[in-house]
Amino acid sequence: MPTSNNQKGFQIFLLLSVFVVATCGLIYELVAGTLASYLLGDSITQFSIIIGTYLFSMGIGSFLSRYFKNNLIRWFIQIEILVGVVGGFSSTALYLLFEHAAYFKLILYLLVGVTGTLVGLELPLLMRILKDRIEFSDLVSQIFTFDYIGALLASIIFPIVLIPYLGIMKTSLLFGLFNVLVALFICLRFKSEISAVRYVIAQGIAAALFIIVGIFFSEDLLKIAEATAYADKVIYSKSSPYQRIIITKSSEDIRLFLNGNLQFSSKDEYRYHEALVHPGIMNAATPRKILVLGGGDGLAVRELLKYDSIESITLVDLDPSITQLFKSNPLLRELNQSSLLSPKLKIINEDAFLWIRNNKRKFDFVVIDFPDPSNYSLGKLYSLSFYKELKKIVANEGCVVIQSTSPFFARKSYWIVDETLLKAGFYTLPYHCYLPSFGEWGFVLASPTDHLSDDIKGTLPSLRFINQKTFKQLTYFPDDMSKLPSPVNTLNDQLLVQTFEKEWAHYTQQ
Amino acid sequence: MDRRSFLVKSGAALVGSTIVPLQSCQSPAEIKKQLSGPNRKFGHMLLNGKFPNHSEEITTPVVIVGGGISGLSAARQLSLNSVDYVLLELENQVGGNSSKGSNSVSSYPLGAHYLPLPGKHDPDLIAFLKEVDVITNFVNDIPVYNEYYLCFDPKERLYINNHWQEGIIPQNGILADDQREFVYFHELIRGFKELKGADGKEAFCIPLSFCSNDPAVRKYDKITFKDFITKHKLKSPYLLWYLNYCFADDFGGKMENISAWAGIHYFSSRKHSANQTTDLILTWPEGNGWLVEQLKKHSISKTISNSVVYNVTIENGKCIVDYFDGMQGVSKRLISERVIMATPQFVNQRILSGSLNRKLDYLKFKYAPWMVANLTCSANLENKRGEQLSWDNVIYGSNGLGYVNANHQNVNLYTDQRVLSYYYPLTGDNDKEERQLAYKRNVDEWYSLIINDLNKPHPEIDKFISDADIWIWGHGMIRPSVGFISEVSALAQASIENKILFTHTDTSGVSIFEEAFYLGTQAARKIIME
Repeated sequence: MPTSNNQKGFQIFLLLSVFVVATCGLIYELVAGTLASYLLGDSITQFSIIIGTYLFSMGIGSFLSRYFKNNLIRWFIQIEILVGVVGGFSSTALYLLFEHAAYFKLILYLLVGVTGTLVGLELPLLMRILKDRIEFSDLVSQIFTFDYIGALLASIIFPIVLIPYLGIMKTSLLFGLFNVLVALFICLRFKSEISAVRYVIAQGIAAALFIIVGIFFSEDLLKIAEATAYADKVIYSKSSPYQRIIITKSSEDIRLFLNGNLQFSSKDEYRYHEALVHPGIMNAATPRKILVLGGGDGLAVRELLKYDSIESITLVDLDPSITQLFKSNPLLRELNQSSLLSPKLKIINEDAFLWIRNNKRKFDFVVIDFPDPSNYSLGKLYSLSFYKELKKIVANEGCVVIQSTSPFFARKSYWIVDETLLKAGFYTLPYHCYLPSFGEWGFVLASPTDHLSDDIKGTLPSLRFINQKTFKQLTYFPDDMSKLPSPVNTLNDQLLVQTFEKEWAHYTQQ
Repeated sequence: MDRRSFLVKSGAALVGSTIVPLQSCQSPAEIKKQLSGPNRKFGHMLLNGKFPNHSEEITTPVVIVGGGISGLSAARQLSLNSVDYVLLELENQVGGNSSKGSNSVSSYPLGAHYLPLPGKHDPDLIAFLKEVDVITNFVNDIPVYNEYYLCFDPKERLYINNHWQEGIIPQNGILADDQREFVYFHELIRGFKELKGADGKEAFCIPLSFCSNDPAVRKYDKITFKDFITKHKLKSPYLLWYLNYCFADDFGGKMENISAWAGIHYFSSRKHSANQTTDLILTWPEGNGWLVEQLKKHSISKTISNSVVYNVTIENGKCIVDYFDGMQGVSKRLISERVIMATPQFVNQRILSGSLNRKLDYLKFKYAPWMVANLTCSANLENKRGEQLSWDNVIYGSNGLGYVNANHQNVNLYTDQRVLSYYYPLTGDNDKEERQLAYKRNVDEWYSLIINDLNKPHPEIDKFISDADIWIWGHGMIRPSVGFISEVSALAQASIENKILFTHTDTSGVSIFEEAFYLGTQAARKIIME
């Protein structure tokens, strides 16, 4: 009697193992498919290829199972542990690698292949382990029954319970843990038949602990994934309703990223901001009333405040999170010399286009420091309509400066900005300078009247970059950046956004 | 898009997906739903025909019945020429199929929502657009349009194969054979654009009265568009979908129930001058309701709204218009030299006196019922990859026409709330049955029909909707069925004794702003000239 009881318990135990193993196997497949859809888009293609690759790899695993001759139980357990770790950490690995891997798809399919192969080994090995212990027809029937039930369970709980409540990382880690636990239980059950069993148990416990730690910290993994995207330490990260703000710091450099795009590096931002502000000031007849659009970091304002003659500065930046941050953070205040706290400054957190359309006052000098025209929303701020509105608020003898992306990386885009300003009735003076952290960068100086000059006398002696001699050079465009015949960017035909996208694609493709 | 920002976004999507089930506890009762439509009380009064006898007689040179686009255009033309008139409007406000609504987030269209740039036959329309600053100036006689009113980029996107592609002609995942059929079709249309009849007139243009009467062209009105397509052996399901989409959009019909002439006209009547390479259109948050606001400035003091015209006839050489003033609760009689009937024929059938003996088969007039829903929505309508939220957002294979972002013409960068105008015509052959179906559905049934469709590209969008203003047009736009344009249109536009003129676009068979403006303006001009 005890033997038959034992036998029954043994069977139930093994079939439960099959059930868990099968569920885990399908979960890994679903995790890979879901993640590929998230990261690469086009869910039909991703799911289809992932499922195919996975099933094919299981076939490879089944084929390879014939080469395992001895110590089957031990092999089975070790494969289980390996499946648990590889499958469990698959989503984490893919997330972390997505940023850096040049051949992300290759890694994705390789990982799917490895997991599939290991899962494919499981059942053939298990059947061979059990073939002498259970009647063959029962064995086949029971193993496949539980295999398919497990698959059904996995496919139902994955979308309904797991993804909504656990998220994708915790799901794969949890099922990795189940795999390892099955290995450990089998290990304990077949203690006597396994050589160096303690060593195997130690392996299993280590893997289980490893995964548990992973589950515990999975909340932070996304942050780690984000942090690894930046070369330096992330010291500030916040999502405002408008953008994701990240500040990184190394021993001698502070960098600001908005939606992942570098805005400045403290090492060379002085070049950018001197070039942005001073040629325009020199070209405005009486720079008393100044408007800054964008530029919530206060760095352009810092440059403006070097002139005592300036009476008032109005800063319009959509995102209060940025202006608040650069007003209050000591490190950043050191950088902008507390410019945002100046009594001459008025900060307005509004949409620049709406504000400029409703504004009736005139300004002597306008600094425009918007993000690049990388989407149709931002592209509106580089349109003919915007520049027509702009022209209404610039004093006749005043001027405007516009950061206009790189004339080297996005040459056509740069000259579209210039052409659009000309079409709006401005006279323009294009110039560019070299920024070590960005490369060649372009600006356009524009005025309602024909008085702009590349000969700026009497620049402040305290400046490190801009002076009369330098600026003259900056207005010269070598042949590889020189003016192109360009179309005009309008709200109804945003050629700039399309051009910009194409031009930068050359430099961002991996 | 660069990969970094993408990672952040997809991360946010993951985090978002874990929160969503908690939000689903939100009671659907929080969504403010409203079902409305044109004034049916007045409509039923007309059917019953019981009105008090008129208590007052007023004499005026001209009466305009109906304040839709053609009535307003006629009124504008009369005002510009200092001819006195009275405009009677059934509804609370003028506008007809170009009416609008509004809430705290935006104004929005209840019907027509855009105007293609007018062509060379429309000098009056061009003058009107100049008057209201839609055209800012002319360069070498070519109009320069106000950038704020030209539809901004991105204009159209199509959700197909789980992906938003640019433009509404299917491209994403389309096989070469299908693409060849599109090329063939466009070639065919190019030919029709240039085609001229034996009378030297363009085969297809706007206004319709400029189109050639050559039987070689008019023969297309004798067959359905389906017959035409079959003759050309076109059968790509993507092309057929696209064609049906266009006909549902413009006629509330489908290939099987509209005339080939009307279908070809849709594609080949708009020819742009050399400097306009793309199909540009003008649009406003409230759609053509914006144009109504501009038009009605001319007639506001001469308009009597809430008035049910119940009898129009000619007695002793004078036109008689009897109407019930819904505000005062009394009937009045207008005696005039001329009447402009800017009302659809299903209404004229009830109010024109039988003694006028108008030879018109009213059964030939078929109007598709429409549902227009304006949804106030805070959802992010952009998928991880694919085209950005556009002006017109169409779902492939759906019975609805997709949605228009009413806030598209706003210049500001970020919007947390938008109004989406979702259009749904009932395109079945039997417009009467379709109308009954449209009226039978209650507000919740309509709402879930809309949400089920929008869920395809935007799962769980209903959690982000706060208001749903659902509007039913029992008689939407006229549907140009086979033979209508060649056999019925001219009869419908014929005046009665040169005293009662007909200007509604259902007399043309094509319900578009340009046609309404032209018919109204021409009728007024005819009165002014004499």
